[in-house]
Formats: sequence, C-alpha cells, structure tokens
Amino acid sequence: MSAPVLEISNLSVRLPNDLKVLNTVDLRVEPGEVRALVGESGAGKSMLGKAVLGILPAGLRQTGRITVLGQALDQLPASVRRREVARHVSLIPQDPLTALNPVRPIAAQMTDAMVRIHGWPRRKALARAADLLEQVHIRDVARVLKSYPHELSGGMRQRVLIAAAFATEPKLIVADEPTTALDATVQREILRIIRGLQQETGTTVLFVTHDMGVVAQISQRVTVLFGGRVVEHIDTEALFAGAGQGHAYSRALIRATPDWTRSDAPFAPVPPEVIADLMQEQTR
Amino acid sequence: MVDISAPRAVVRAPNLRLWVPLCWLTLVGIAAVFAPWIAPHDPLAQDLMLGRLPPAWIAGSEPGYWLGTDDLGRDVLSRLIYGARIALIVAATAALLAGLVGSGLGLLAGFFGGWWDKCISRLVEIWMAFPPVLFAVLLVAVLGTGLGSVIAAIALIDWTRFVRVVRAETLVQARMDYIDSAVIGGASKLSVLRHEVLPNVLPAIIALLSLEMGIAVIVEAILSFVNLSLSSDAPTWGGMIAEGRASIYFAWWVLTFPLLTLFLTVLSFSQLGEGLKRHFDPVQT
Repeated sequence: MSAPVLEISNLSVRLPNDLKVLNTVDLRVEPGEVRALVGESGAGKSMLGKAVLGILPAGLRQTGRITVLGQALDQLPASVRRREVARHVSLIPQDPLTALNPVRPIAAQMTDAMVRIHGWPRRKALARAADLLEQVHIRDVARVLKSYPHELSGGMRQRVLIAAAFATEPKLIVADEPTTALDATVQREILRIIRGLQQETGTTVLFVTHDMGVVAQISQRVTVLFGGRVVEHIDTEALFAGAGQGHAYSRALIRATPDWTRSDAPFAPVPPEVIADLMQEQTR
Repeated sequence: MVDISAPRAVVRAPNLRLWVPLCWLTLVGIAAVFAPWIAPHDPLAQDLMLGRLPPAWIAGSEPGYWLGTDDLGRDVLSRLIYGARIALIVAATAALLAGLVGSGLGLLAGFFGGWWDKCISRLVEIWMAFPPVLFAVLLVAVLGTGLGSVIAAIALIDWTRFVRVVRAETLVQARMDYIDSAVIGGASKLSVLRHEVLPNVLPAIIALLSLEMGIAVIVEAILSFVNLSLSSDAPTWGGMIAEGRASIYFAWWVLTFPLLTLFLTVLSFSQLGEGLKRHFDPVQT
C-alpha cells in the first residue's frame, strides 16, 4: 500500500475558551481518493479543512499531527509550512462571491500562485490558465481572463476557482462545500466538472459537505463527524447500499436528506434518541 | 412585445459629483500654475488712488479691475489667482504627507493587529483628544510661520483621520476569503498586504485624500486669518478674508470673492472625493 497523501492523527482544535471544535480526530486519505467529510453545521468539518490548509482563525489552538505526503506540517517553521502547503495543497472555497479579489482581473489571480510556486514564466502560467478554463467548460476564455470577478456569474466564478485550484498541480485539494452557494442546476454541473478533473489528474480530494446526495455522487469513502469527533470512516458504497451497514447516525443523516423527486416524502430529521446514543458513546 | 434578445447598452448618468468639482478645481489649478501670465496686475502693487474700486459691473469701476480692489488699491482678482498657488501647494503637500503616514500606519494596524494595532490605535486616540485648530495654532507658534510649518502643522494634525479609515477598511479586507486563497497560494504577508489588501483600500485612501485637501485649504485659511501663516502681505485667501472684514461696510467685494472661492474649492474637494469613490468602485451601485 502506498503512502497516504493526508494523514491526520489525534488532531484537536480548541477555541480560546477551551471548547474543542475538533476532538482527537484521526484520518487517512489514500492517493487518488475522493474522501467526503460530512456532518451537520458545527460538526467541525470546515475547521478540519482549514487546519490542513493552515488558515485556522487567530486564537485557535491546534494539537496533534497533520502529515501531507509524509511531511509533518506542524513540525515545520511557519514560512516553510506555507511553502509546502502552497506546493501540494489547493482549496476550492465555499463562496465564489468573496473568494476572488474584486479589484484584480481573473488572469492575474489565476497565474499568481503558478508563478510563485513553480517559478513558471507568466506566459506559460497564462496558457495553462486558459487551458484549464476550457476544461471547466468556459466558452469565452479570452474574455473571462480579462474580466473582473463582478462581471461573472456565481457559477462562472466557481468554475474559475476550480480551474485555479487544479492549476498549481496540487496533490491534494480541499473542497470546502463548493456547491452550497450555488443553485441546484449549477451545483450538478460543478460536481461533474470537479469529478472530471479529479479523475483525469488523479488528484486526491477532501470534499467537505453536508449534503448526502453529493457524498453519494462524488466520493469513494466517507468520514462522518459529530461534535468535533469522528463517528466513523466507511466506504460510500457500503453506507448507501441500504444493507444496514454504517453507524445509526450516518444512516439517519441519509434519511434526513430531502427527496425532491417525491412531493409527499416526509421530512425525517435525525431522531433525538440516535443523537443521545451517539453522545453517550462519545463520552465513554 | 419587448425584445429581450438584444441587450440594451446601459446608459449610466454622468457622474456629476466627479466632473463638476473637477472643472472648478482645474480652473483653480490653471490659475495657480500660470498665475504670472493670467493675473492682470501685480498682486502686491498698491495704488492708494485706486483704493476700494468696485467690481467691473458696478458704476464707478475702472477697466481692468474685474473684481475691484481692496483698501490699498491691490487688484482682488490678481490676489485670488496668486492665492490659489499657496492654497493648492499647502493642500496637496499636507494631504499627501498626512495620507502617507496615516495610511501606512492604518494598514499595519489593521493587517497585523495585536501589538501593532494596540500601539497605533492608542496613539491616535491620544492625538485626537487635542482640539485640532488650537493644536495647529500652537504648532505654528512653536515652528514659526512660513509655508513649511503650515504644511507640517496640517499634516501633523490630520494623519489620524487616515489611520482610522484605512485601519477599518483593512480589517474588513483582511477577513475576506481571497486573502486565505492568496495565503494558500503561497503569498507572503507583505505580498498579501501589497497585492490583495492595498488595491482594495486604495479607493478609500484616494477619496480621503481629496477630502483632506479641502480640509487643508480651510485650515490654511484659518491660520492666515489669524495671521499665523505666511507674511501678512502674501496673497492668501484667508488673509484676504481677514483684511476684507475691516471694510465690509464700504467694500463688500474684498471679503466676498475670496470667501466664495474658498467655499467653492473646499466643496469641490469634498464632492470630488465622493465622486472618485464612486468612480473607482468596481461594483457600480
């Protein structure tokens, strides 16, 4: 078995008041894998992504180990760590409206990281940016490159951000709920694009989401989080097979996903007894 | 039926707040630069025989003295034109100095936070506790009169304005997602500050610079009014207002025209600031 791209062991993140937003999390993601990270709001899934990227908000304390491609990031000095993360890890952010600098054209924003990380000449970076924009199904590439973010729609901006994430040839991409800020039809298209590029490049993806439908579409394995702790790691297929595999909480999450094809489908929130059992299990 | 296939060109109303002030300030600027060629008379030449001549459209005026003369027979228009020189030099240099110092400190405080922010913010609060005009008078009294000390006094008072605005704006920008994206893309702190934060704060700085130039014109006029600016016979707008005050009942024009010029110039600077802000905003509202 090859070395994991991302290995997290015993990771805890504390707020200034000592509340743990992540509690002794272990996670191992193999090369080429798409790992979904699911949980309700506040489960700590976005925090986990931020910890890997080294952009936790100021004031939070982190303990435990994050290893990317065999390198223990927390052991490195800050500047080296930043360089290593830049070289190997990218982010597809949640909100395409705020993730692009409003006063700089797309071309400059896309090429900056390529030039900085790989030392490519600006012209080569620009050619790669144009190439990737075509791959994310943008028709008018030349115009988009010259545009400012406010001249593009939300879906277009998210495509630009996906192209930018793949542009630096990362080994690992953290996708932080990349479809939640978009409407349903655009969501599906965006998912298809991410999966297409992922399969072509073999990039490992940590896909943060709260949407079980998305999990089923995109991932091979799932990590379920509750209250900052891992509930379980499980193969996506097994979890959705309906054969009673997986934790009761994970199955309840699946049932809680609304079924838009049936107008009479009842809304099924996670039953309180499942949560009570889970909390008891976690305090043990 | 409405044709929706061809998008109509969006006709945006001309930005009056930008262009009207710009016209007036260009006029003042031309007057300042080309004063020796434009001014019909020597601004310092006295002729007691021609004292208190009314403006050209009032009976009893002399040809060539468009806005009349003051008590000592000096041409009001020529003095206004030369006064524009001093006003603009003071406004531009003082605002630029205050802007450089204040914006720099504001960026540092807002971006690095922590001790930087604490030290700079406390300093600003203490500084702002002084009443500004009294502070200026005090500073000039200590530094001595003259163009340099007037500029220094204005810059020393008003850099705090820039710190406050730029710090607040930087705090907002530093929390944006694209800052995180730049950090993940390997940008250093300084690079983030220079390429991501500064361009977004710049419109606010430019708008404030324009506003500050208006304030500098007023403060300079105040200092001239209390005779703490340049030597008393140098043609400054504030000095003219002070002199005109004495003869307001016999020759209203000596006071009125410099006052009007001052008013229009200050108003133009503040409106221009607002207009520029709108002009630079990439998301037009």
